[in-house]
Amino acid sequence: MRIRSIELTNFRQFAGQQEFSLMGEKDRPVSLIFGANGAGKTNMLNAFTWALYGEMSDDVEYQERMVTDSVWRATASGDFVEVAVELTLDHEGEAYRIRRSIKARKEADDQRAASAGVEMWVIRGDGSSETIEYPQPKIDSILPKRLSRFFFFNGERIEKLVQKHAYAEVRQDIKTLLGLEVVERALSRKHLPAVEKKLSAELRKRGGERAAEIQDRIDQLRDQESGEREELVILTDQLATYTEERDGVEELLRQHQDAAPLQRELDRIKRELDESKTSMNAAGVERDGIVGSKGFLAFTEDLVTRTSAMAVALHERGALPAPLKREFVDKLLVDGTCICGTALTEHTEPFHNVEAWRAKAGLAEVEAVWQKLGGQISEIASARQSVRSSLENAIGRVTSQRDRIHRLEEEDSDVRRQLSDVPLEDVQRLEAKRQDMDSRITDANRKIGSAGTALGKATKEIEQEVNELKNAKVTDELAAKARERLHLVHSVQAALQEILVIRSEDMRNRLDAKVKKVFADITFRPYIPILSQDFSLGLFQDVNGVLLPVPKSTGENQVLSLSFVAAVSELAREISVGRASDGERSADAGVFPIVMDAAFGSLDENYQREVARSLAKMAPQLVVLVSKSQGLGKVLGELSPHLSHIGVIVTHTTLAGEASEHISLEDGEHPYIIAGADADYAELKVIR
Amino acid sequence: MNNPLRTEQDVLGELSVEARAYLKRVLEIERARLHVTDPDLADDLLEAVKRILT
Repeated sequence: MRIRSIELTNFRQFAGQQEFSLMGEKDRPVSLIFGANGAGKTNMLNAFTWALYGEMSDDVEYQERMVTDSVWRATASGDFVEVAVELTLDHEGEAYRIRRSIKARKEADDQRAASAGVEMWVIRGDGSSETIEYPQPKIDSILPKRLSRFFFFNGERIEKLVQKHAYAEVRQDIKTLLGLEVVERALSRKHLPAVEKKLSAELRKRGGERAAEIQDRIDQLRDQESGEREELVILTDQLATYTEERDGVEELLRQHQDAAPLQRELDRIKRELDESKTSMNAAGVERDGIVGSKGFLAFTEDLVTRTSAMAVALHERGALPAPLKREFVDKLLVDGTCICGTALTEHTEPFHNVEAWRAKAGLAEVEAVWQKLGGQISEIASARQSVRSSLENAIGRVTSQRDRIHRLEEEDSDVRRQLSDVPLEDVQRLEAKRQDMDSRITDANRKIGSAGTALGKATKEIEQEVNELKNAKVTDELAAKARERLHLVHSVQAALQEILVIRSEDMRNRLDAKVKKVFADITFRPYIPILSQDFSLGLFQDVNGVLLPVPKSTGENQVLSLSFVAAVSELAREISVGRASDGERSADAGVFPIVMDAAFGSLDENYQREVARSLAKMAPQLVVLVSKSQGLGKVLGELSPHLSHIGVIVTHTTLAGEASEHISLEDGEHPYIIAGADADYAELKVIR
Repeated sequence: MNNPLRTEQDVLGELSVEARAYLKRVLEIERARLHVTDPDLADDLLEAVKRILT
């Protein structure tokens, strides 16, 4: 989806009809629109979402005042006035026009909430257009409403995206964007499992009783499997909520004058506990590795002693195996017969040949073999000793870390007791809440574990039943056909389940790598964002090899969220290109514009520049709404090579005391605020 | 199942021609209704399997 233009008619501050083209040149995907505080930047951002979904963000005040105040005042009582936003856009090779409008009749001075209607057309190559009968579902199929948060947002509020409680929704949105939701849906109750049930009923009707019984069991197991899967989603969301609440309580304790020293102590203990647990786990893995690969050496002491004694005895007898022993040659000469049967008579050629071997064979070989064997025996003994030392070392570290963990846990309990005993009601209340959250977190983790086990068991049992079904007897051709169709559905379900796992892991890894890269490009702090298995995003710091979570300041949250948006946008596009080659999607299916208000929020200048640079490179279309103070200078410098359009939302104000302002753009001075105007309204002026 | 070294292509490669065709059709049907909340697609998906295995 690429937006070609936006046209506003009496929409909020934008009096009359105003249009702005957004179609950029190739490699210049950015449009930059300046506006003073209160000029209408937030309303312009909301014009996009209102046109698409009929909704505006919560931070827009007086949402019933859709018509420009001055236009409403000038409208005679009983007359109609139209407010509309029209978007033209391209999506998957088609051009569309979307128009949402309200025809409001003035009955009082105050505006009342009125319902809007939406129309949509496909624009043909010859300029003709065809009305789309059900526009809203069509718009939702281009960009579902809930995904719009990634593409139309206020930079100052974007940090909400990375807050834990948002993950239940954000995770699902990411899955939709990255093409995972379609696979999940196919596997859900009303889809392929429902097809199984219908085919099973046919099978039973056709006399395939045994096969139908097996299918009944599969149906039950599928229900169980879906139930466990849904339970896991709920539990994971609960865990995220509890964790966020617990973190919030801890933050309050850190800020509380009387509780802060104790909370700092708890933070230290937690850091040390994390370090100790990581070290103990690493030592445990090392110990298991030694036991697994070299553990057998522990049982070689007796073997080494006995082999050594045996070798000494053989050596003394000169009986160690060697390539050729002198005694053996002597015996052949005395016996007078070679091993090949030739007679060995003195002074004959065969006798001399064998006698020559006697000189070559002998004790030298025995000595060499002895030395080799002795070396091997001592190698085993020394390896055994080395394994013992390594094992003692690893076990020692496990034990010492375990002792340290016990000590730290005791310290932790002690400090928590002290916190509970602080004679201040608010501290006790916070500590009680923390303990409650801790216990809920433990409980949720336990339930997640058992739901995961039950899910695995159900999946395995389904596999067994499916195999049994293949061999179940059927009575006639129609029953055989029903069974064959069931088998096809089973194969596809199994394949989709595996594809879902593969795609989820692949997407998570790719998104994680992209977020890391973008974040590292923007920030100068040594923090590492990590996208977890359940697609929740956290910020960590490497402290002596241990990754510890860092409290996120608002600025870092904003950078993290912007990195996340940029990474999601880029990955969605890459995936679409990949799938388009497989015929699964069209080439621009994953292309979405990013429209940002207050793009750089409370970021400092360095961050503003880096964010501008990253977004300009990653977004296929970027519309940035900024104030003069945020958008000029370094930001404009970074965006300049990527800019196609520049605009200014000129503020016309009736306030005479307000000073008029200009903005320097494109080698010229342009009005920014016009004071002493006839009416209050915003004018969207095209500069480039 | 869940072998970290397996790819989507490996999974598809092990399917019969009919199963591959059905999987593709299932994803097409699902994608076409992605914007609909909680759709019931059992009949469409059943019809698709019957078209492939007539």
